[in-house]
Amino acid sequence: KLCLFPQLLSGRYRDTQTSITDSSAVYRLSQDKSTSVTLIDLPGHESLRLQFLERFKAAARAIVFVVDSVAFQREVKDVAEFLYQVLVDSTVLRNAPALLIACNKQDVTMAKSAKLIQQQLEKELNTLRVTRSAAPTSLDGSATGGPAQLGKKGKDFDFSQLPMKVEFVECSARGSKGEEGEADLEGLEKWLVKVA
Amino acid sequence: VGFQKILTLTYVDKLIDDVHKEFRDKYRNEFQQKGALGLLNGTFDFKDDFMRLLRDAEESSKVRAPTVMKTFEQSLKSQKTVKCMIETRGEKPKEKVKNKKNKGSKKDGTEAVAVPSKASAADKQPSAAGDKEELTKDEILQKNREEFFRRHMKAGEKSRSPKPDAQKEKGKKPRVWDLGNSNAKVLDYSNSATNGSAEACPVEEFDPDMALGDKNREPGRLYDLEYESDDEGEEEKVVQNPSKPSVKKGGLGGMFGMLKGLVGSKSLTRDDMDPVLEKMKDHLIAKNVAAEIAVQLCESVAKKLEGKVMGTFTTVTSTVKQALQEALVQILQPQRRVDVLRDVMDAQRHRRPYVVTFCGVNGVGKSTNLAKISFWLIENGFSVLIAACDTFRAGAVEQLRTHTRRLNALHPPESHGGRTMVQLYEKGYGKDAAGIAMEAISYARNQGFDVVLVDTAGRMQDNAPLMTALAKLIAVNAPDLVLFVGEALVGNEAVDQLVKFNKALADHSMAQTPRLIDGIVLTKFDTIDDKVGAAISMTYITSKPIVFVGTGQTYCDLRSLNAKAVVAALMKA
Repeated sequence: KLCLFPQLLSGRYRDTQTSITDSSAVYRLSQDKSTSVTLIDLPGHESLRLQFLERFKAAARAIVFVVDSVAFQREVKDVAEFLYQVLVDSTVLRNAPALLIACNKQDVTMAKSAKLIQQQLEKELNTLRVTRSAAPTSLDGSATGGPAQLGKKGKDFDFSQLPMKVEFVECSARGSKGEEGEADLEGLEKWLVKVA
Repeated sequence: VGFQKILTLTYVDKLIDDVHKEFRDKYRNEFQQKGALGLLNGTFDFKDDFMRLLRDAEESSKVRAPTVMKTFEQSLKSQKTVKCMIETRGEKPKEKVKNKKNKGSKKDGTEAVAVPSKASAADKQPSAAGDKEELTKDEILQKNREEFFRRHMKAGEKSRSPKPDAQKEKGKKPRVWDLGNSNAKVLDYSNSATNGSAEACPVEEFDPDMALGDKNREPGRLYDLEYESDDEGEEEKVVQNPSKPSVKKGGLGGMFGMLKGLVGSKSLTRDDMDPVLEKMKDHLIAKNVAAEIAVQLCESVAKKLEGKVMGTFTTVTSTVKQALQEALVQILQPQRRVDVLRDVMDAQRHRRPYVVTFCGVNGVGKSTNLAKISFWLIENGFSVLIAACDTFRAGAVEQLRTHTRRLNALHPPESHGGRTMVQLYEKGYGKDAAGIAMEAISYARNQGFDVVLVDTAGRMQDNAPLMTALAKLIAVNAPDLVLFVGEALVGNEAVDQLVKFNKALADHSMAQTPRLIDGIVLTKFDTIDDKVGAAISMTYITSKPIVFVGTGQTYCDLRSLNAKAVVAALMKA
């Protein structure tokens, strides 16, 4: 995520460290110089991600959920769980910001395609729906899964069932030619233009 | 930077501060003008500066040679001549005069130097080693007086220039007590001849400088008590808030100061927060949080808030409360996934049973909550095998048998496609618990059970042989989930229990990464109304999530933790 951030803003590749706080900057759209949006990058460390999500979810006009396409197979449960938490959050459901799932690290050969990632996530979220709603109710009576039921009850979970627009895009912060190459961010930038 | 405790580098904190300040000062303009883009686009050639700072820090921390004890020759005692230790009445006034003259010149020198300067932790003693001086009683008195003045003016001290002393003493010298040397005669200042007549008093040698102390003062002016730490403190605060361009204390004084305090842009100091934190700490302890945990929590909140600029119209109390609340929610919110059902499904796919072990001290509710959890699992369609590894307590096996019977009555095999949802695996009393557990798991694998719940005997954390036995059971059987069952009524004991249980599990495991407690079951939650502090203590110590909360003795009394509600109950007055 933090690699994408300067790439979008200035086109340069920077070395990054694991972030412990958010970073924000104003981004001018390449086509239309007059409109600008503020990009906010949140840390992904498991002890921090929920905290920062809480802080910024109300202000979000759109959410980019970045997925590591290479490590996806291993981490599919964690990814799905975090995505589930984003999707059932009452503020997010109310505002229904546009959601883009950016499958990053496509320059690596073993990266999964966006289609595959979408299928896997749908399956996993389907299972999570069941297990989360079956969890014991919380102490003061409110269900842990939230009163929101993700998607339609009878059918298998599908991203089209969500109230917000969800798109999948492949991108690469590093570019296929290594650090010096151009980052492959066209899909991301196009989507940003659409959203803005 | 690595963990300080592992590397034991004493200079790390100071180094970080120095680097922070230096970097900020050097690139201040870039940040201020360009903001985040400046960060991204600018090049920061800081490597040389960093290496220099690192070298300085390392050198400053080099181990100093252990201080050598003073030899006798160097000590003060050897410098005192026999002459000065002998008191003779007649010579006294002459000596006094002579010494005063000497003292006068020397004293002026030191006093001029004793101008108030920034106290930079100078701890030089006035009578440093190697100080060679003749010390009469009066000299000692004067020395003390000077020290007194010096301390009050917080001056940097200069060590006395050593005066050469020729005589060296041999033999035994009478001990000279600095302040206890006077006899009644010396203290008797009344002069029988002059009592009653004013003029006939002998004129005392009055040294005005000595009496007034400071040669450089303006006559007639009353100085304030110098209090330098305040200046340094303010400087620190300014240093710590570079990015907040808020309106700093300008030259406004007087009544505007009061308004300033209301309108904010005041930064928090430790002293402001201390009374509030004390109150919060007592409040937490009253809510059954373990005492050491409450102290540590308040400490960390204080550290986090130190130097923070408060917003407008917020009081110190509200800021501290807010920060404490956030910290508590952060503690209680599980960082790892707490989804047992998901993991059971995974194990199901791999055709092996999911093993859960319950451990805890006596009487916390292991068997009861085991039954509740098996009910919950059956409701979700998983078949359960209960392993009765409590082979000590009378009636343990019968208790589990009764639960099994009841659960089977509630969920008869007919409604689940013909298979019994819950079965009990027991081998009576007195046998080895680890062995029974192993047999139960292989039985479950053969019969196709989804979950195995292992019930162990309650044991005190101090009971070494029992703790070893538990550790062996867990190490040998490698369960998927080790749950520590703790009651919500426990107070400071919670800390001790958890620490000792974890320690025992770690010590007796042969593996590289020992299996420790993975989750906590908090039981008897219905018996405490809002004294929910045990939850905080337990999660703080282990940093593992609270997986289940038990709120009663029927099968439906199983809940999951709602972090916000618990924190709200905790912070409620």
